[in-house]
Amino acid sequence: MSAQQPVLQLKNLTRVHGSGATEVHALRGIDLAVYPGELVAVMGPSGSGKSTLLTIAGGLDSPTSGEVIVEDTDITKVGIKELAALRRRSIGYVFQDYNLIPALTAAENVALPRELDGTPARKARVEALAALEEMSLGHLADRFPDEMSGGQQQRVAIARALVGDRRLVLADEPTGALDSETGESVLALLRTRCDAGAAGVLVTHEPRFAAWADRVVFLRDGAIVDQTVRSEADSLLSGRVAEA
Amino acid sequence: MKTWFHSWRAAIRIARRDAWRAKGRSALVLAMIALPILGVSAFDLTFRSAELSPAEKLDRTIGAADARFRDADMAGVPILQDPAGEMSAPARKEDDERWPSGPTDVTKTFPAGSTVLTDRVGSAKLTTSHGLLMTEVRELKASDPVARGIMPLLEGRYPEKNDEVMATSHFLETSGLSIGSTLSARNFERPYRIVGSYELPDSLKADQVNALPGAFLAPYGKAAEKAGLSAPDSSVSYLVRKPGGFTWNTVQEINTKGVLVASRAVLLSPPADADVPLYQKDGWGNYEAGPTDRAAELAAAATVVGLAMLEICLLAGPAFAVGARRSRRQLGLVGANGGARSHIRAIVLSGGLVIGIAAAVVGTVLAVVLTLALQPLLEQAMGQRFGSFDVRPLEILAIALLAVLTGLLAAIVPAVTASRQSVLSSLTGRRGVRRSNRVLPVIGLVALLLGGSVALFGSLVTEQVAVVAAGSALAELGVVAMTPALVGLFGRSGRWLPLSPRLALRDAVRNRGRTAPAVAAVLAAVAGTVAVSTYMASREAENRASYEPQLPYGAVAAFVREEGGRDVPAVREAVQRYLPVELRADVDRVSVGRPGCSPWGDAAGCGRFEVVVPPANECPLYAALPGGGDPTERFTPDQRRKMVTDDWRCKESSHGGIYVDGGLLVGDAKVLQVLGVDDPGAVKALADGKVVTFDRTQIDKNGTVGLKQITDTAAADKAMEEGRPVPGKVSSVPAYLVPGDEKSYGVRALITPAAAKAAGLSTVPLGMYAATDRLADSEQRQKLDGEIAKLGSNVELHVEEGFVNEYGIVLLSLAIFAGLVTIGAAGIATGLAQADAEADLKTLAAVGAPPRVRRTLSGFQCGVVAAMGVVLGSAAGLLPAVGLRLTEERDRLRYHEMSVAEGWTGTDTAPPDVPIVVPWETLAVLLVAVPLGAALLAALVTRSRGALARRAAT
Repeated sequence: MSAQQPVLQLKNLTRVHGSGATEVHALRGIDLAVYPGELVAVMGPSGSGKSTLLTIAGGLDSPTSGEVIVEDTDITKVGIKELAALRRRSIGYVFQDYNLIPALTAAENVALPRELDGTPARKARVEALAALEEMSLGHLADRFPDEMSGGQQQRVAIARALVGDRRLVLADEPTGALDSETGESVLALLRTRCDAGAAGVLVTHEPRFAAWADRVVFLRDGAIVDQTVRSEADSLLSGRVAEA
Repeated sequence: MKTWFHSWRAAIRIARRDAWRAKGRSALVLAMIALPILGVSAFDLTFRSAELSPAEKLDRTIGAADARFRDADMAGVPILQDPAGEMSAPARKEDDERWPSGPTDVTKTFPAGSTVLTDRVGSAKLTTSHGLLMTEVRELKASDPVARGIMPLLEGRYPEKNDEVMATSHFLETSGLSIGSTLSARNFERPYRIVGSYELPDSLKADQVNALPGAFLAPYGKAAEKAGLSAPDSSVSYLVRKPGGFTWNTVQEINTKGVLVASRAVLLSPPADADVPLYQKDGWGNYEAGPTDRAAELAAAATVVGLAMLEICLLAGPAFAVGARRSRRQLGLVGANGGARSHIRAIVLSGGLVIGIAAAVVGTVLAVVLTLALQPLLEQAMGQRFGSFDVRPLEILAIALLAVLTGLLAAIVPAVTASRQSVLSSLTGRRGVRRSNRVLPVIGLVALLLGGSVALFGSLVTEQVAVVAAGSALAELGVVAMTPALVGLFGRSGRWLPLSPRLALRDAVRNRGRTAPAVAAVLAAVAGTVAVSTYMASREAENRASYEPQLPYGAVAAFVREEGGRDVPAVREAVQRYLPVELRADVDRVSVGRPGCSPWGDAAGCGRFEVVVPPANECPLYAALPGGGDPTERFTPDQRRKMVTDDWRCKESSHGGIYVDGGLLVGDAKVLQVLGVDDPGAVKALADGKVVTFDRTQIDKNGTVGLKQITDTAAADKAMEEGRPVPGKVSSVPAYLVPGDEKSYGVRALITPAAAKAAGLSTVPLGMYAATDRLADSEQRQKLDGEIAKLGSNVELHVEEGFVNEYGIVLLSLAIFAGLVTIGAAGIATGLAQADAEADLKTLAAVGAPPRVRRTLSGFQCGVVAAMGVVLGSAAGLLPAVGLRLTEERDRLRYHEMSVAEGWTGTDTAPPDVPIVVPWETLAVLLVAVPLGAALLAALVTRSRGALARRAAT
């Protein structure tokens, strides 16, 4: 695993909001690498910097210092146009809810990054249908978001996050608005995509969902306080769950 | 290129579906853009359809003939004509030579082998179910194939016998007659049966009756002469059909015999201007629509269209901003999925594009459908049948493109604003600080200063109204661009306001991006309204000041000058019966020749009449010189000015009033009473058989007035042309001059019937003056008009109502228009503010604000926008109006000074008064009522329960 090139690499990442009296250190010197086929869960209490980490990793926010390398590109050094192009071609996002554009069908939502990238509509649709089919969501292709359940919407969002050549999924509490059973099915899908070669970062505060990850990173006050590998994570979590 | 295209497709898809999802908002914007497009397209369709091709025009004027021949009335001398056969001039004429006049025999010019139809038009007073109606009578064999298309038959059949006629549908409608009824004419009791109805496609409102050639006009003329009247004039032309038609060369050949020809072949392919000898003559050039006129028209149209588009953009822009704000999360998602700023811009712009295209389609389709459906009504209103339904695809497309352009323009600012938002703040719903553009206000200030100085220059230095208008327009645009900065100034005044208005004001000021367009929309509409209102109110004040009453207030005059006053007794009766007449003064006029002569007629046996001005009393400035020439040129400006100011002979004695023939009326002292002339001396003079005159120049050195009867009008015309005294029989009557500068309302001299008779003058009834005890109301006027219409007489009726304000209704409708725009713009801005303020309202509810705060807040938000726009707009509108008035004042002062310097007017003439009047009523409505109304309306339509109530419930 470590012999491969990481898809996402964060090097000595810091993020400071505001200045002077209102100065807040959201991230302090984070180092993290995510490899193809790996699903990394990020856990921590509210305000620990989980979401900030994810937005910086995806180029939606920029760090105060440090490097963010996505597939050989340091995204802190590219302009906003290239950054947008990078989001179209390399990085996929899944948020807690309302991930899909209400004006577009499931297939069109999945095809959107490709179309924005200039792929002809028909070709983009074929790719999108293939992606949906691969995740057994083909029957949803022509439904609008308000005609789908929350779980279906999240699975379509995952399909969109990985359409085309994209290999990095950044998921910010993707199960936060779902019941536990549906949440499990969404994570199962995420897991299979990672097993198929994608790299995933999952922000959650539900230990149950973190259990799907290969590795769990614990954040507190903007710094990584603990890291586990998958086997350790299992035992660790089961112990904690038992305590709770 | 391809990449760009594909990503735009996605943007348009999103925009299209979004527009469909927000149906209410989309419909509103669509209506705003589509309505003007509908109007302009419908106008274009109507205009183009009503505009006839030369072939269509020919069908209506000469039917199936090849040409219409007409006597040029130049005694048969060779003439030159224009290709349309409308204008002509003698081919050879020296400058001082007399213009040839007299008939020629047109029939001799018809080429061999041609078919000819005579077309004679005259007029007659026809009997109707209601009374008499002056109607055109046309003798043309309408059933002949050569005349086909000139008077298409609607119902019944063409006349076939001499006692049959057909009439236009409009005549049947106004006369109350129908097919099968009979009509006859006054003084001519022969009955004619109406056998059909027709129309004149070019003048649907014409009253015309068609008879067979020779069946009506000739016998009618004879009957009129028998009754002592002149036979009515008629004009004749000939429709000629000849195999091969008439070329321009043939037409010119026929011109040598003094005959005008309107030829089909020539009109269908007109000769070049260089081949038209008439156009080569001095003063006869072809002046059809010069390029400068077209340019000015085009510029005016472009300005109006541009301003309308600006207004629509300002109104629709905030609506797109609301849409963008509402779908902020969606735009954030697009950003998270790799949408660059250009993609976000494309999505919001596509919103404008989609609505613009929809508006273009809806507007154009509705325009075509409505124009087609309303074609009969439009034709009636224009009084003209369409040629063919003429759709010019390019013009319609250009108009439709305006809609697309408007939509796009309106979406530009919201698109740029939306694309500048960071993806993160869009996703989290955090409200970033939105800085307003700093460059725009600076540009605005520059435009304002530049436009202001141009307008100032225009009003102070030049007399060019266009300069003032252009400068004002530029300044106005500058103020619009400065709106964000100006809105900021209002924020300072918020400190001492209560909570809701303070919140509303601060919110409006902090979010200038959405407030400014709405304020600018209100500003533009109000500025236009205030400018026009101020200008109109000032004009009205000026008109009121310079109003010259024709009669004393409430007085009535009714004159009949035709048929020797035959209808005068009936008219006098009618006025007495229907109006509140207090004192009636009947008047007659002096007639020379047969009693049936018209006062200015030169028919056989008819003469004229005039009051002699003794040569010693003539103003040297105007006295005709024996050899011709301009008498004023003999004097220097100084002498002229001195004469106009000091010489009593040169003073203008007339103060306006109703025209009185020869200045002499025949009547008694009651006339003086009605006219308000209070002079016992005049009354006594009338009783003594004297002429009472208001004009000192009429009295000769013996104290008498000379009254001249001219029987030989031809000799009189010749004498006048040569500057000799006009021959005629003069009777001298002792005169009395009314002292002082009494206002006599057009009457220059008065004589009693007895004195007139004693002086050997014959008189005929003319009409009456009447004083009323109160102003006749509308109902009385209508009854009188109806009664007069029944008489079929040409009655000149004047009721002096004093100055009547014509602009009142215009001012009111302008104020209403500005009010509607204001409320609309403020409403849109309020919707936008509401979309933004949800979080604030939740916070307010959490700290214990009652639910009605939501309502009052939105009311104040609306009111604040309206108030700011109205205040700024009023200020911006007053300036151009004042500038325009100042320019006008300068222009007229300059003219006045020139007149004085040249000696055309005396130094004692008052300089022109150009008042500037501020229409306070309109301003008050705009400044107070409109913002208040907008606020109340917004408060009423806002639900007081929203997120607050839900939160309270949980």
